Amino acid sequence: MSAASYLLDRTIHLVVPRPSNNHRARLLHSSSLVYFSLLVLAFQLFIGYGPRMGLRVLGYAANISPTEVIRLTNEKRVTQGLSALREDPVLSQAALAKGTDMLNKDYWAHVSPDGTEPWAFFASAGYAYRYAGENLARDFSNPTDAVEAWMTSPSHRDNLLSDKYADIGIAVVEGDLNGVDTTIIVQLFGTRAVNVPATIPVAEASEEVVPTAELIPEVLPTEEELAVTQPVGNNELISGASGLDSNSDLVGSPFGMTKTLALVMGLVFMTVMVVDGVVAYRRGLKRFVGRTVAHVSFIGMVLAIVLIAKAGRIF
Amino acid sequence: MNHHLQKVVRHLPHYLPLVGILFFGYWGFYTFSYDRIFQTAVAVGVAFGYITWGVVHHYVHKDLYLEVVLEYIFVSILGLVIIFSLILAA
Repeated sequence: MSAASYLLDRTIHLVVPRPSNNHRARLLHSSSLVYFSLLVLAFQLFIGYGPRMGLRVLGYAANISPTEVIRLTNEKRVTQGLSALREDPVLSQAALAKGTDMLNKDYWAHVSPDGTEPWAFFASAGYAYRYAGENLARDFSNPTDAVEAWMTSPSHRDNLLSDKYADIGIAVVEGDLNGVDTTIIVQLFGTRAVNVPATIPVAEASEEVVPTAELIPEVLPTEEELAVTQPVGNNELISGASGLDSNSDLVGSPFGMTKTLALVMGLVFMTVMVVDGVVAYRRGLKRFVGRTVAHVSFIGMVLAIVLIAKAGRIF
Repeated sequence: MNHHLQKVVRHLPHYLPLVGILFFGYWGFYTFSYDRIFQTAVAVGVAFGYITWGVVHHYVHKDLYLEVVLEYIFVSILGLVIIFSLILAA
């Protein structure tokens, strides 16, 4: 038997029901399903732990403009009858400091591993706040998806649509987070303490704070913090911690790779199920197996989910 | 052809619950795009629903065997693993 004939025979054995595979496509045997499940798990382990072992071949890189994030945010606010937020360079500087801190200390959270809270970045940038809030997003390929994701989460939506805020600052930072090239969006909201009307005592004003997610400052700014610094930096600046190129690169990302594998695997199984079912029906085979229509429908739903799945996380 | 049509109509009530289960799974993922916990719960729920549907369906048709049940379980596991891997990688 030539190599080509052998390969053809093996392929038929895998796909078409016949005596050699007990009249059931070999790929649909329970053992094959287990092998393929293990293959997906092994792939996930590879892309999950590979970067931590020094394999920096995958990454999320996206071209996200802070100005666009602000525009989309204000668009949502105006739609809800709220005033548009004012872009504040000091707040953007605080956002940039927070994003850089996350990359430098390898964490993805509102509070850093050493206990530094978001409000510390407001203070160190020189933004004395009356109200403050923070939304985080990562691994989104475009700003629209990031803003829409925030809008789907009640706590983030409350921040985004709060009438307590007057200013907004955005930073988009790119760099290595836990071994994976990542794009993080830091969205800070605030209202300066100096804007508080003089007739309202500060202590009293603080009691009016409406909880916005988990991000309400616990303490009022001190007199020192009330000092306003000169705006620094340009909001259009994006810190390029790792010098990633700014083109969308989701195909090479862990999510893109997983999605491609899932689509290929789903299509292969669906095709084999259809071929197996049609051949068995035409030959009038009596088999004790699951319903082909049901399996194809189930895998079809999985494929539909794979197609609508989007990359990105919010916090 | 008429025979096939009659067969489809006769089996329709059996497949409507399956359509409902699968539609719920798609709807859950579409509606809660960034809620990982909910998506995980939906995926597990759909997988159990699918296995249950398979067991009941084959029991009604009097062709329920251990191999058949295992097949539904392994198909569900494969689907779950694919969906979980996407949730984790997202």
